[in-house]
Amino acid sequence: MHLPAPILAFEDVAIESNPQYESAIWNISFALGPGELLLVLLDREHRLLPLADAAAGLERPLEGRVRFGGRDWQTLSADDAAAERGRIGRTFAEGGWVSNLDVEENIILAQRHHTQRSETELLDEAATLARQFGLPGLPVGNPSAYRRQDLQKAGCVRACLGEPVLLIVERPTEDVYADLIAPLVNVLLAARRRGTAVLWTTTDLSVWDDPGLRPTARCRMFGSRLHMVPN
Amino acid sequence: MFLIARTACSRVGKVTWHRWHELQRLAAILGTLLWVSLWPRHWRRTVRQVFARQLLFTGVESVWFTVVLGLLVGMAVVMQAHVWLGKVGLSPMAGPLLVVVVARELGPVLANIIVIVRSGSAMATELGLMKVRGEVRVLEAQGLDPLVYLVMPRALAMVIATFGLAILFIAVAFLGGYFLGRFTGGFHVDTGTFLRSLFRAMQPVDLLNVVVKSVLPALLSGVLCCTAGLDAQSRVTQIPAATKAALGQSLAALFLVAALVSLITYA
Repeated sequence: MHLPAPILAFEDVAIESNPQYESAIWNISFALGPGELLLVLLDREHRLLPLADAAAGLERPLEGRVRFGGRDWQTLSADDAAAERGRIGRTFAEGGWVSNLDVEENIILAQRHHTQRSETELLDEAATLARQFGLPGLPVGNPSAYRRQDLQKAGCVRACLGEPVLLIVERPTEDVYADLIAPLVNVLLAARRRGTAVLWTTTDLSVWDDPGLRPTARCRMFGSRLHMVPN
Repeated sequence: MFLIARTACSRVGKVTWHRWHELQRLAAILGTLLWVSLWPRHWRRTVRQVFARQLLFTGVESVWFTVVLGLLVGMAVVMQAHVWLGKVGLSPMAGPLLVVVVARELGPVLANIIVIVRSGSAMATELGLMKVRGEVRVLEAQGLDPLVYLVMPRALAMVIATFGLAILFIAVAFLGGYFLGRFTGGFHVDTGTFLRSLFRAMQPVDLLNVVVKSVLPALLSGVLCCTAGLDAQSRVTQIPAATKAALGQSLAALFLVAALVSLITYA
């Protein structure tokens, strides 16, 4: 039987520490197939890890390989890598908003860049997602005018827009657990049914213990190493 | 003595080597930018929007400033030319002299200075802040190449805006200077004669000179200002220094290109 290639695969990946991150990562291996969710519990002392950046091909591993859709990020040309990143939805743990664009423009930016979909269609889909995440509508205006909680919800709208192949969800529920967890789990379940793979990092034990999340696998970071935790 | 000479030589060598590497990097970025800009697939709607915004900011919003500056410079140059040429009985040389001063040199150089001061510094600061705040990384994570999305449209909009402003500056300087001269009684030739003498004096090489002197320094300043901003690392305090360096380098590049082009074209 021929198994489909995993959407995201880390093969003995090591990335050195640099000032952007609080820790290096060593010997990380996992594979995420269509519809799977990997939940990673981060050490509170080492929350800023190159895991999400490596998954998106933005960090060159010192050792090992990161494959997206079966292809090693390091073998892709700049154009191909950029096009592949357009198929990844991501929420950012820190910042994540381009300040010279409105929140609405930020939300549809990647889709406008990578697809031919009309703006009306994109705005309609974004508005529907915004309501699902508990926002009254699509946020307009500069990101600096919004509360962190609203921006986190808007970040989830952006990540889920356009049915991405892979979703990287970086600590999305910090400060907004109660507000965000139910809609996020629902939207992710629907995305997983469509075949989207999800990599979710968190420091929140409530997320870790949430029974509604139904992760395919759970891992825990200890320093720079990843340990699988049986479900 | 030997030690001082050796230290001095080593310092000169290091600076030369550093400048050489900077030049190589600039050439590589310029080459890539021009190559990338040739392909329609890189001109997506998001990139076109950045281009249009930059054109509006650099070109359209500088129109009034250029018109006022052109009028003032034109008034000064045209008046001086007519007064002094009249004294030595060379009034018919006014056209060629104006072409030499305003079209060949002042127009492109001043248009570039306007653009560097108004937009170059703003671009370096804007991109520097984006880099320090991690916004460039956010764009990369969404598959937007910083060279294609941030640098290419800004640098090319700067080129087109500068060329347009140089033409506007030259036209306003000629016409404004002439009409002010007429108004104050400094000129005794009619408009037709004045314009004919200008067009007779303008050679094809002058037009080429205007194009090259407007376009090339603008492209260099666009790339220099954008890369200076993107080179900022993690501290906001690096941005003013990067902006200052970018402006200095842009002005140096402008005068170097202007001098070289004049030398090649007219020597």
